Amino acid sequence: MKNLYQPQPVKIEKIEFLSPSVKLLRLKKRLNFVPGQFVLAGLWGYGEAPFGPASSPYQKQYFDLMVRKGGTVSAAFHSLKKGDEITVRGPYGNGFPLDFFKGKDILMVSGGCGIPPIASLTEYLIKNREDFGRIYLAYGATNPDEILIKDMVDRWQKSVKVLLTVDAPTPDWRGRVGFVTELIKEMKVNPLDTVVVMCGPGPMVAAMEKILKSIGITDRRIFISEERKMQCGIGKCQHCATGEKYVCLDGPVFNYDEIDKNFD
Amino acid sequence: MTVVLEKSNIPKLTEALSRQYLVVDYEKDKTALSVKGYFLAPREKLFSFFSKTKKLSVRSSPKRKLLLFGLDLADIEALGQLDEIMTKPREDYFYLRKRRNSLIVGVVEHSITMPVATGDLILEKINPSQYRAVSLTKAGQEIVKNKFFKKEKNPEILIYPEEKSNLRELAQDSELLAEAVSWARVKNHPIWEKLEKICLGCGICAYVCPICHCFSMEDEIEIDGSASHRCRYWDACVLNNFSRVAGGKNFRPALKNRYFNWFYHKFVRAYKEYDNSQCVGCGRCQKYCPAEIDIEKVLSEIIRDYEKSLSAPTG
Amino acid sequence: MTNDKKLKLGLFDFTDCEGCQVELVGLKEKLLALSERVDIVNWRLGQAKAQWEQFDIALIEGTPLTPGEIDLLKIIREKSRLLVGLGTCATLGGIPAILDKEERQQWYNKIYGPEYEGRGVDALPLSAYVKIDFLIHGCPISGNEAARIFSDLINGKKLNYKDYSVCFECKLANLPCRLLEKKPCLGPIAQGACGAICLKGGSACYGCFGIKEGANVGALLTILNKFASEEEIENYFSMFHNKSKLYDHR
Repeated sequence: MKNLYQPQPVKIEKIEFLSPSVKLLRLKKRLNFVPGQFVLAGLWGYGEAPFGPASSPYQKQYFDLMVRKGGTVSAAFHSLKKGDEITVRGPYGNGFPLDFFKGKDILMVSGGCGIPPIASLTEYLIKNREDFGRIYLAYGATNPDEILIKDMVDRWQKSVKVLLTVDAPTPDWRGRVGFVTELIKEMKVNPLDTVVVMCGPGPMVAAMEKILKSIGITDRRIFISEERKMQCGIGKCQHCATGEKYVCLDGPVFNYDEIDKNFD
Repeated sequence: MTVVLEKSNIPKLTEALSRQYLVVDYEKDKTALSVKGYFLAPREKLFSFFSKTKKLSVRSSPKRKLLLFGLDLADIEALGQLDEIMTKPREDYFYLRKRRNSLIVGVVEHSITMPVATGDLILEKINPSQYRAVSLTKAGQEIVKNKFFKKEKNPEILIYPEEKSNLRELAQDSELLAEAVSWARVKNHPIWEKLEKICLGCGICAYVCPICHCFSMEDEIEIDGSASHRCRYWDACVLNNFSRVAGGKNFRPALKNRYFNWFYHKFVRAYKEYDNSQCVGCGRCQKYCPAEIDIEKVLSEIIRDYEKSLSAPTG
Repeated sequence: MTNDKKLKLGLFDFTDCEGCQVELVGLKEKLLALSERVDIVNWRLGQAKAQWEQFDIALIEGTPLTPGEIDLLKIIREKSRLLVGLGTCATLGGIPAILDKEERQQWYNKIYGPEYEGRGVDALPLSAYVKIDFLIHGCPISGNEAARIFSDLINGKKLNYKDYSVCFECKLANLPCRLLEKKPCLGPIAQGACGAICLKGGSACYGCFGIKEGANVGALLTILNKFASEEEIENYFSMFHNKSKLYDHR
């Protein structure tokens, strides 16, 4: 019998600030995953927490986590240095339905720390660029410092239309100011041929869904990545249950109409 | 031929068995807790990690097999459900390792009318002084080889009807329960508000339930820094922080949401996952709730109103 | 993740019974292990060394009952990165807070005569005077729970309470429920991790670990009102919570 609770040690190959509150952890291990899936990363003595890998699923040498300092585990991760070991188990759950995406226009919407699975998906889409129509990535951050994909934007722009916006600009910010929801005006959207992928704060997702509905994109074409408390990762502990689903087993990626009727 | 055991020989049998097994004589009326804790401990160390050597040790379980003696049918049924939950769709290593190192002997004080699916040996009362032994597994057959069991051609077999329990009967109709509880939430039935006012949110219902299995994991660092332990402990979904994420958001901030989730899991989600309601009607939550919330009355009220709504003219 | 530089810890006590410090001493090997990992720079009851420079962590047992003690508390606060209350006197006001000004004046009159002017102040939780970073409740504290919190503290972990109430450990100890026996008990709304020690000893729970976050106090009062008088209920709540802002049922 396999012990699914037993994690594997992994070495930190690189650790650096992506923003004042977020660090990138590059982990030396080949992880076979579908963008949207998650791992439970941990540190002995501090516990485990769920993270969606942010790197390309084609990357064979390593995978990346983006860690916002929040709970016990993420705070402990922030204090580590190159060469230190953390633990990983997974990947768990279901990623984005990539086959369903084929041939369609893709609209990705993300806010704040919801970017990791979207970043990984973007890498996948770019690698398979000819399989998809128009691709947009709308990303909102509280301020320019909190944009976690600064290093990727130039490369991504060659294949994907990346639209960035911030809530609170700094004096040197030359880009857009405002909510992500407003970026839709800058896109050419064919509602019958577009799938939408969202990962971000609840209010952002809810506001965006309303707009999408009004332009004729049905909930069936909207995919969101859900966040919940997770402990076991294998559908036992009950913390991530929502309605009749478990985020760890049935998600974290859901069709919007699968969960929007849930009460929690 | 019927294998029988004299009632008077039960203490001698358990004594004989304790030479081979770690025998626990489970007496339901002497504890609020079910036997689930033998397999899913209230608090247990799963792993220990030693910082100097960087060695990980997986907590081992005792070599000697555990034999739980004296479970009634409801508890056996509950354990069967828990076995399934801990096996499907993924295996819970720590539960199953202990469970597979155990034997279950049921003692049933009434006539059995339905096949029993869990356990190794069932002792069924057939007359005032004798039990019929039905072994369900090889391990059960081994126990029956013990000298206290006798083969008899025509033992006296009397019928002892099971004591009627409304809750147990209610719990059987899992399809109706799933529909009714779901309906009660969609229709925002006043019962949830009512329960929120009287529920203490103490979690006793979940602790005493033989099927409730929510847990949390937590790491502890020895105060001298030499080792860390990953522990898991019983949680309860009515507790305040059950659905709070690291960032601070609580997905079920009100007791009403949490209480409903307890019901929803037991009667709706469980039905969709395992075709069963996760209640066998053992009555523990009813008996030990300090606020005297009676699950039987709550379910009856929900079902009554649900059925009323079905017969009411639509529109 | 070891701290190269040891944290400087000071342990101070105001008016109280010192029982929580006794509980710390009772940790024996664990206390020695703790003293290896932190630098205890000031502890009147435990050592001669008494430095007054900056503290990374100051533990405060008891609560001020004189203006001088209040001043000292403020000074310690200024010198400390983290200020942690140790025991229910410090965290909630506890036993000394049962008595308030009017009642005390009556005793003054009786003992010292009407001329006497008391200098004592009402016992309040430390948080009435200064910002507190964490509360280690208990009358007395549980040594093991305190050791867990110390370990989390020196390892830089976010401090937290157990999410369960006293009922968890009471049920595990297989004790009959007092409320079901129509005897008052604050167990269901009280913060757990004490090991249900009072219930094991045959007493009720008076909630010395504090009222649990999000507790349904109203529901408990409804139950208590069925079999206990208002005065009796008041006695249970005022044992540790007379001056506590965590609880206000009046």
